[in-house]
Amino acid sequence: MSTTWLPCGKYHETYTQDHAWWQTTFIRGKMIALFAVLFVGIPLLADDYGLSICNNVGYTVLGALGVQLLIGYCGQITLGHAAFLAVGAYTSTLMILEFPWPQALLDWGLAYPISILVAAVVAGIWSVFFGLPSAKVKGFYLILTTMAAQFITVDFIITQYVSQIGGRGQAFSLPVGTIKVGPWVIDSDLKVYFMMLVLSIFLIAVMVNLLRSRVGRAWVAIRDNDISASVMGINVFGYKLLAFFVAGFIGGIAGAFWISNLAAISPEHFPWSWSLWLVGVILIGGVGSIHGTVFGSIFMVVVIEALQLVIMQFVDTSWGSRLFMDFLFIKEAAFGLVICAFMIFEPNGIAYRWWQAKNYFNLWPFSY
Amino acid sequence: MSIQSRGTKAFAFLFAVALIFGLSSWAGAAQINIGALNDMTGATSDVGKDYALGIAEAFHYINDTGGINGKQIKLYQFDYGYRIPEALTKYKLFKRLKCVAIQGWGTGDTEALAPTVAKDQIPYVSASYSGHLTNPEKTPYNLFISADYSTQSRGLITAWYDNKWPKKQDFGKRKPRIAMCYMFASPFSSASIKAAKDQAEMLGFEIGDDQDVSLFAIDTKSQILALKEFKPDVVLHTNTVMSVAATLRDAYSLGLGADHIIKNWGFDENLPKLAGEAAEGAMGCAPWAFFGEDVPMMDKVVEYAKKYNPGVPLEKRTIHTVQAWANVLGMAEALKRADAAGDLSGPSILKNGFETMRDFTIGLGVAPITFTSEDHRALSIARVYEYTQGEFKLLDTVDLQKRWPEKYANEWIGW
Repeated sequence: MSTTWLPCGKYHETYTQDHAWWQTTFIRGKMIALFAVLFVGIPLLADDYGLSICNNVGYTVLGALGVQLLIGYCGQITLGHAAFLAVGAYTSTLMILEFPWPQALLDWGLAYPISILVAAVVAGIWSVFFGLPSAKVKGFYLILTTMAAQFITVDFIITQYVSQIGGRGQAFSLPVGTIKVGPWVIDSDLKVYFMMLVLSIFLIAVMVNLLRSRVGRAWVAIRDNDISASVMGINVFGYKLLAFFVAGFIGGIAGAFWISNLAAISPEHFPWSWSLWLVGVILIGGVGSIHGTVFGSIFMVVVIEALQLVIMQFVDTSWGSRLFMDFLFIKEAAFGLVICAFMIFEPNGIAYRWWQAKNYFNLWPFSY
Repeated sequence: MSIQSRGTKAFAFLFAVALIFGLSSWAGAAQINIGALNDMTGATSDVGKDYALGIAEAFHYINDTGGINGKQIKLYQFDYGYRIPEALTKYKLFKRLKCVAIQGWGTGDTEALAPTVAKDQIPYVSASYSGHLTNPEKTPYNLFISADYSTQSRGLITAWYDNKWPKKQDFGKRKPRIAMCYMFASPFSSASIKAAKDQAEMLGFEIGDDQDVSLFAIDTKSQILALKEFKPDVVLHTNTVMSVAATLRDAYSLGLGADHIIKNWGFDENLPKLAGEAAEGAMGCAPWAFFGEDVPMMDKVVEYAKKYNPGVPLEKRTIHTVQAWANVLGMAEALKRADAAGDLSGPSILKNGFETMRDFTIGLGVAPITFTSEDHRALSIARVYEYTQGEFKLLDTVDLQKRWPEKYANEWIGW
């Protein structure tokens, strides 16, 4: 059932109405305002640093969406998602550097967009490969098999073999001008920001649409009780693999996007800790919520930046430099405590608080 | 909680954020802003913390002794925990703060940022001494006051070949055997492997299979057992000290019987503490003096360590503090020269500052440094120490430029 609060006397009469996007004028207004802020406000007001933080948030959103799909909607715990980001990043990079592109495609700026698509498909297929054990194992055992994805993909295949292609050593650098989308060379934070925005909105829309389709309902059924789902006639294994494919597909796009931000990659950019970090994002944001993925990403990136900026103000004081040195460790500890605190006091994450706040205003003055 | 108190809290939060961002953007008139990226909590924090302390102390020294021709330096120093995405945002923050130059850290982020740094024309003095950063045609704004990793590795192999190989039983009967231990996935660890193999081939070594040793390794027995089949005479290590110490311990306990040569980040005062007896005879490259050695400027290094970080005992300070001082003193000299030329922009700091240095001496046991517009290798000399009987003793000094002038000038730059 839709969770949108409609004006008194208005009712949904069809299933389509119940699942429609932006059901009231107020919601449409809010969304237009949000788009105005994202596409006009931030680009006008933010400097390179601000845009860089936004791009970091976007990269985290793109990375965490797949994790949210697997853990939050399909109940398949994963701790190896950075591997699929790496597959996407390396596929895209190698295609740009090594593929004999026809000159026309290069001139039209289609090489990078095509490489993103191929990267997504390759990462999706690679993810399915590591989803195969989900037919037999779940819970902690599945965690271990997904961790294997990290070690086999990044530490072994990419490090030992893929990184050696072209004899460049470990780090691949993309020459200026090679990352081009149509007529635009992606060579500034602003252009990266717009690309991030388009990709994030597109993938969030795809995810939301999938989740309100037959496929999404099957995933949720598997998450809630896979035996019941099987009894209802859902092809549990097939849908699990589809979830792995879609998660890998989105991860591949995230990885391919990352190279536009940095124009260089090495296996060091995809450590196992990044997989763990992405799980932290959805835990803090809210498991089983697309909003939660975005809120968690904003929280994880912005909080660290804010803490650093707070420290910076006190470095010149007599006690400040000492605080600076000690605070680094406090910062890490504080971050761990925040995750613990969310688990204990708000296991539904920031998304639940957002929902409560929205309800408070939507139902005002009768919000009791 | 009342709505009023919520409102007050929200206001306080917004005010704090506004204050932070407002203050961050402020910059005084007679001050020069410098950014510093350090790793004090991440993968390379075992050596990064001491380096970070050294950076802060050295800038205090510069300011206390008149700054840059009277202008004070404002240092913005951040720990990025060796997380590449965070390094990127910090770099953008430095740009917002109008930093004229940056003190960077690791190979991963320095190499990744190199194209951006070149585009923005901001001199970037790193603690990564990767040879890939020394060709101004490719990375014009990357610099450091050290022998690059490739020069270090070539020097180490040469020093072992000159000093140790002739004393071995099999000398003259067969080729010497060398193997290399490093983290394959790390651009830092693997930066000089190509150069090391080239040098080994040139000197007639037989080269064994590389061993993948993580920067976080605490057990390397499987790698040592693999090495035992090859029976190397010498093993080159290019990881940081904790990983190198673990490898040396396992090599000692499993009786590998090879000598060990170590790049600078794996060869410091902590190595004997961590590896114990296994460190005896280990050789490493140190382009600077060890902390507390009797060389010019070391008294200042020790004095400022005591003054600004009294909580860190002097016996725990290492050569990495000295490295940081070398990078800061080199940058300060470039800033002074650029300022004297009346232009403190990035291109001026490079052209009127760094690239005017010819055999410039900063003390700290560092050989005279030279930068030109064609070559950013500050030093061609690898100073090789041996740890023996509880002391680091200078074993040999290999000057690659003097020994192989043609190859050094034309073939070895940039890798």
